[in-house]
Amino acid sequence: MIGAVEAIRVKGLSYSYSDGTKALEDIDLTINEGEKVVVVGPNGAGKTTFFLHLNGTIKNPGGDVWVFGKKISDLKIEERIHQVGVVFQDPDDQLFMPTVFDDVAFGPVNMGLDEKEVEMRVHKALSKVGLEDFEEKVPHNLSYGQKKRVALAAVLSMEPRVLVLDEPTANLDPKSRADFINLIIDLNEIDGITTIIAMHDVNALPALADRVYVLNKRVVAEGSPREIFSDWSLLKENSLEAPDVFKLFKVLNCFGYSSDDLPLSFDEAVEILTRTIEGTEGHIHLHIHEHTHKEISDVMNSYNHHRNGKE
Amino acid sequence: MEYPEIDAYASMDSPIHRFDPRAKIVSFTLLIFSFVFVNEIRIALLGFLFSFLILLISRLPLAFALKRIRMVFFFLFPLLLVMPLTVEGREVLNITGISVSFDGLIFASLIIIRALAAVTLALIMLATTRFDITIKALYALKVPGTLVQMLMFTYRYIFVITDEFSRMWESMECKGFRLKANYHGLSIFGNILGMIIIKSYDRTRRVYESMVAKGYSGKPNTLVHLHMSTKDYVLSTCMVGIAIFVHVYQLMFTV
Ligand SMILES: Nc1ncnc2c1ncn2[C@@H]1O[C@H](COP(=O)(O)OP(=O)(O)OP(=O)(O)O)[C@@H](O)[C@H]1O
Ligand SMILES: [Mg+2]
Repeated sequence: MIGAVEAIRVKGLSYSYSDGTKALEDIDLTINEGEKVVVVGPNGAGKTTFFLHLNGTIKNPGGDVWVFGKKISDLKIEERIHQVGVVFQDPDDQLFMPTVFDDVAFGPVNMGLDEKEVEMRVHKALSKVGLEDFEEKVPHNLSYGQKKRVALAAVLSMEPRVLVLDEPTANLDPKSRADFINLIIDLNEIDGITTIIAMHDVNALPALADRVYVLNKRVVAEGSPREIFSDWSLLKENSLEAPDVFKLFKVLNCFGYSSDDLPLSFDEAVEILTRTIEGTEGHIHLHIHEHTHKEISDVMNSYNHHRNGKE
Repeated sequence: MEYPEIDAYASMDSPIHRFDPRAKIVSFTLLIFSFVFVNEIRIALLGFLFSFLILLISRLPLAFALKRIRMVFFFLFPLLLVMPLTVEGREVLNITGISVSFDGLIFASLIIIRALAAVTLALIMLATTRFDITIKALYALKVPGTLVQMLMFTYRYIFVITDEFSRMWESMECKGFRLKANYHGLSIFGNILGMIIIKSYDRTRRVYESMVAKGYSGKPNTLVHLHMSTKDYVLSTCMVGIAIFVHVYQLMFTV
């Protein structure tokens, strides 16, 4: 991108926990303002550890993190939380105040804003996540999905320029999951917030990613979702998956269906199918040749690594 | 899971519920101290009746209140059996050489009545205000920040930890574990408690991280909106008046 502003820049970041666990090794990456970036990687890959560096929670003299051109260790607290907001995995860890209002007001109060401004921000953040009348509620009486949304509101109220989310869709029911994804997309597209997300949910990934980083202690790969999902061996080595639709179309290709773009999401699949069928006078032709079975089993093997052990 | 919710009836309506939480805490605390330091049984009894009257005014369900007050009574009840035998004084009965003293009986009753009055008042104070508001009122009353934060976190996480405990317990029962008072049972139970402590420790770290992520620097940070009205001043003046009067009256009584 020409003239893009660098939001996050990480150079040579390594980190080991005090018990000797090496969590991150020599991470280099740059994320521009306004981008949607997803970080994928197997359990224990260091995603959460990496995120703890982005807002300075882990103070690491051995690595450099710049936020909008400033070194994170040089930022004042109020400045830092205004630049980068992190929503962690477990909402119970993040809602520590007696009421929803207090939780959402916590950041703004720490930023030293006056009462009127704090209240305004709490209202705004709660209505963003669709929980207008929840101010006086007590966190332990909320459902998991509601807690997740309050946790997001508690970060949005600081009006961060970069929003970091650790597994936002885990444990949500299908409706809440879709709502949450749309909410994040809106925050990125309408409010211009840069979003950085860690997730295992590959079916939701394409909607949330302009660009993907594969992290496994170090940055293993970087690219568009399509590039990453097309790289079979990369996925296999890092215990990752491609979206179901993508895999299905790979199989369709073996049956002779030809399309240049493999769809990454359900909606895209419908669109591409319609387009191809219309382009070929109302029907598509699928067939089986001798080599088809071999091709299909190759595709299956390359993606379904959870079955490999049994074969 | 049933939570130990003290403020389950805080959303009801009564003059006590409407009492400003700061004024409530101050006047109830004074009353409690006043009643606890009474040493004349008749005045203590009046104090207890007064507490009970306030309980009626507060409209808290009696079953809810009595269940808790009863626990204190059972805890102190043994005094009634022990003290008449151990405290020297006028003898009321002599059972085969063991003397039962009247003064011991009175003294034990005094302790129990005072305790019941205090507990009733404390219960009303806590049960008629949402706990988060009690915490804010303490903060507004300039109670040391560390203390307020400790209370706050206890209140917030007691539920999370209860849930965690009951989940672990259920999963153990699913695997056929039944608690028996033998070596095996107790050692497993010990393990669970240990796990809870470790989990809580881990959670503390993560909670702290997320507080730091929101700019926490050691001060409790909340907005408190409480407003005293005339009736709050009147009510608290009455209560403080009673707290003082009890002792003045006792002085006149005993002198
Ligand atoms: N507080 C800690 N002390 C010691 N080791 C830790 C600590 N937290 C994480 N680790 C270790 O660091 C490594 C990276 O963990 P991290 O939580 O960052 O992974 P992750 O990518 O977020 O995994 P997941 O997808 O399961 O959330 C793991 O090997 C983990 O065991
Ligand atoms: Mg993680």
